[in-house]
Amino acid sequence: MSGPPQPDPPEGVEALAAEYVLGLLTEPELRHFETLLVRDAGLRQEVASWQACFAALTADIPEAAPPEDLWPRIEARLHGPVRAALWRQLLPYLLGAVAAAGIAWAALVSDVLTPGSAGPELQARLVAAAQGIALRADYAPRGHSLTVTRESGEVPVDRALELWLLSDSAGAPISLGVLGGEAVTSLALAPALRAQLPGATLAISEEPPSGSATGRPSGPVIALGQLAPL
Amino acid sequence: MASSPHPDLEDLIARVAMADRAAFARLYERTSAKLFGVCLRVLQDRPLAEEALQDTYVKVWNNAGSYRVNGYSPMTWLITLARNAAVDRRRRSDAGRAVQPIELDHRLADPAPGPAQQAEARDEVQALALCMDELPPERAEMVRRAYIEGASYAELAAATGVKLNTVRTWLRRSLMSLRDCLSR
Repeated sequence: MSGPPQPDPPEGVEALAAEYVLGLLTEPELRHFETLLVRDAGLRQEVASWQACFAALTADIPEAAPPEDLWPRIEARLHGPVRAALWRQLLPYLLGAVAAAGIAWAALVSDVLTPGSAGPELQARLVAAAQGIALRADYAPRGHSLTVTRESGEVPVDRALELWLLSDSAGAPISLGVLGGEAVTSLALAPALRAQLPGATLAISEEPPSGSATGRPSGPVIALGQLAPL
Repeated sequence: MASSPHPDLEDLIARVAMADRAAFARLYERTSAKLFGVCLRVLQDRPLAEEALQDTYVKVWNNAGSYRVNGYSPMTWLITLARNAAVDRRRRSDAGRAVQPIELDHRLADPAPGPAQQAEARDEVQALALCMDELPPERAEMVRRAYIEGASYAELAAATGVKLNTVRTWLRRSLMSLRDCLSR
């Protein structure tokens, strides 16, 4: 392996592989080596072995906790600042949270349309299995209001459930109101909101009694359901 | 030895490859302290190390899909990304940094075995330590500088006071000795 002294690098591709891993090749050498690498699986294995060997040199380097704000900076670099269509970015998290909590959610789908110019009646079912709460949301176009009926379960003491609208046209979740201890809550909707209801998703989050103070869901999202024609 | 953390990390990386941001967050929680340690050692500068750590995880996110085909263990892959990101930052930002001389009688400290998660299998770390000890101390130091600090041949030449071509020959011989020793 160690040949006689030579003016030029004497040890062949194994040494080149190590120098490649160390970043010590000159530009032409690097280009040449990378063409070799593409067609030589053995050489790629050589590179992998050097990676592992050198990585072991870091064994005695102590861990150091990065500052708290570093993770948000990484997320911002990858996913951009939090802005319009927030709920689209949030939805996988919401769904993940819902699934992780073992909560089933049901989107009631029906193609039976109510005749009439006011548009169809819409309904969504929101089931928070872990909390044992099942809700039904009904929208009757003529009444301009969304009626939320708690079909089973109790709202936790000192907590409230807040209902949110996630729609394609809205940038962020829109609070539709806070559900207190009553079994039936009627929420009046502004015209701009009514137009967004068909196909929109409703979400329930657990909040302080007066609702989220931030304008966004601040507690866990425990149920999701899609508004579909009844 | 505790059971290997690798299957978990491999699973997390596989999920990151599918754009699972929750898995990415967990991977960061599990590995960022080690990788930040590596960045700090390479750069010796906190703000730069923070930048390098960001670069590292951006690459993790973007390249997680190619992880499995490379055949590395997860920590090797992550440490390699962190070291390279830090070395890139270092080479861009302070090319004129003063070079610490490598003295001929410099003794390598025994690499203390780190916590299990910090590195490859302990056997590998110990084998490497033994093989590094077989090298003349200044040659072992050159290898460490080349990897840990990303020292260039020019910097190694300045540190040892020998010509660049000589330094290159020395380093390559040392690497080949290391390779022979590790494959025994």
